[in-house]
Amino acid sequence: MNKVLISVLGSDQPGIMAKVASVIKQHNGNIENLSQTLLDTVFGALLRVELAADDSAEKLQEALSHSFAGLDLFVRVHPWNESTTDWHQHKPETQPYIVTAIGPDRQGLVAEMATALFEHGVNITNIQAIFKGGKNPMDNLMVFEVDVPRSTVMDALRDALADIAQRLDLEISVQHRKIFESVSNILN
Amino acid sequence: MLSSKDIISTLQMVREENLDLRTVTIGINLTDCVSDDIKTFKRKIYDKITRTAGQLVATCQRIERRYGIEVANKRISVSPIAVVGAPFNADQMVEIALTLDKAAIELGVDFVGGFGALVEKGMSAGDRALIDSIPQALTESQRVCSSVNVASTRAGLNMDAIKRMGMVIKEAAEMTAKDDGLAAAKLVVFSNIPQDVPFMAGAYLGIGEADAVVSVGVSGPGVVKAALERAMNEEEGLDLSRAADVIKQTAARLTRAGELVGREVAQILGLPFGIVDLSLAPTPNENDSVGEIFEAIGLPAIGAPGSTAFLAMLNDAVKKGGAFASSHVGGLSGAFIPVCEDLSIAGSAKNGTLSLEKLEAMTAVCSVGLDMIALPGDTSAEMISAIIADEMAIGVINKKTTAARLIPAPGKQAGDHVVFGGLLGEGPVMKVNLGNQENRFVRLGGRIPAPIQSLVN
Repeated sequence: MNKVLISVLGSDQPGIMAKVASVIKQHNGNIENLSQTLLDTVFGALLRVELAADDSAEKLQEALSHSFAGLDLFVRVHPWNESTTDWHQHKPETQPYIVTAIGPDRQGLVAEMATALFEHGVNITNIQAIFKGGKNPMDNLMVFEVDVPRSTVMDALRDALADIAQRLDLEISVQHRKIFESVSNILN
Repeated sequence: MLSSKDIISTLQMVREENLDLRTVTIGINLTDCVSDDIKTFKRKIYDKITRTAGQLVATCQRIERRYGIEVANKRISVSPIAVVGAPFNADQMVEIALTLDKAAIELGVDFVGGFGALVEKGMSAGDRALIDSIPQALTESQRVCSSVNVASTRAGLNMDAIKRMGMVIKEAAEMTAKDDGLAAAKLVVFSNIPQDVPFMAGAYLGIGEADAVVSVGVSGPGVVKAALERAMNEEEGLDLSRAADVIKQTAARLTRAGELVGREVAQILGLPFGIVDLSLAPTPNENDSVGEIFEAIGLPAIGAPGSTAFLAMLNDAVKKGGAFASSHVGGLSGAFIPVCEDLSIAGSAKNGTLSLEKLEAMTAVCSVGLDMIALPGDTSAEMISAIIADEMAIGVINKKTTAARLIPAPGKQAGDHVVFGGLLGEGPVMKVNLGNQENRFVRLGGRIPAPIQSLVN
């Protein structure tokens, strides 16, 4: 077991994944899983890699840094011992909900929402933000995909979010994910 | 992960386009309450209804919160009272209506339907008593709705019943003269009535149905209009084939939302799930109008030439989308064109773009019929029967459901304005050709035979 986590961040351009994967291949490493995303023009990738027995995070970091020299990218290699948090070890039974906040962007919005969700035992699985400005409410929207444990009192969570909505002049709704799925996925 | 497009379009449907679950309706079979003692019968039906639907309102409220979709109405439909209350006379039928009303108030449901009779071929004593009691029953009760099926493709038209219904409608309107004839707005005459309609005033539980069953009525003319408008703005060269596709897909999405909620309510209540009825049923609000869809597609107004063709396409596309999205689509499923419940249709009727005759033509291709139409108060009972007969004939010959909900508003003339309030809305009194004259055709009575099913042209 010689695993590492690799993060790659920076301006998007062709060839980033090709470079990362080629260096890993040269080191006889194996990519076990990966995910990449784009935030406007910013690229971000996360890879979990099994290294050869005689290799190390430091050596791979050196090789990747060398390969990316001159490109405006941040690469970090972290040793990874597969330890999991309490949440994963004792994951409660959850229901998937979608929390949406309609209204203009403002400082502290994510902090307030995320803290309220955390205080009610809710885990955020994905956040999407759409802030295009203007008057169309659908152009000023934050979407939190969350897992809500059975122990969470929904009314208390709704009250906490309603309080934020009032203070920050937002329209917040909490809807079970199934309604979005059944309306969107006609072919399933 | 859901795409932001999916999330936004669902949010839009709920927030801006008036997607609502118009009704969750529990159908309750009352055949096991039968008794020839009125007190026993009343006690039994009250107990069964309040026991079976006791948790309906609370459950719907729970589901509303869970999915963020409003369940606008909670309703009950029961076995035809003329059948289960067959031993009783007209006065006792009124008592039964008031018992249904009391149960509805106790449960907090909006309407209870099924105070009706099926008389397409002939009338039993129970049917006769019930029909005689309708004016008083609908005047004294608040939440009871009545439907009478007077024709079917297999039986033809029962003209004796149609003749009688003209008088009943007139009497019901006159007994509620101070409310513009409100009682008649809770009464609908049908041909080929489906057994599982969740919408009022036609809801009842057919004899072939389960002991209790949950059905859902979904509406959303605003959603269809918005989808059409978006497609027309965004897609160059959009033609009617593509417009039909847009309507179909929108209908499928609406139906999915309805089925999800219906199944969940049924599961919580421990009852079987019946059907989804996706009907574009307007309310008297902007952005919740069927007439506005006609304007969105490019007609000057509903009632203009082209309206029947577009309505045919709209009704068919709604049915196709619904049938694809759910295996159990039932009820009326299609587009309603009620005059007083729809701001745009009422507007066209008021300014003369839409006449009673054009409406009748359009009902040949819509999902129901002449709906929520206020007539001059001096329209004769015979002429009301004749309008019903015309409408029933369209249904019988075309093997479809048609209905007539006509309100001869006492003291009002063509062009006057009537107000029924709430979902029933308001609108103009429509002109009836030769409306105050006698009609000896109707007076002949008897039956118009069932139509031949071959030689189709």
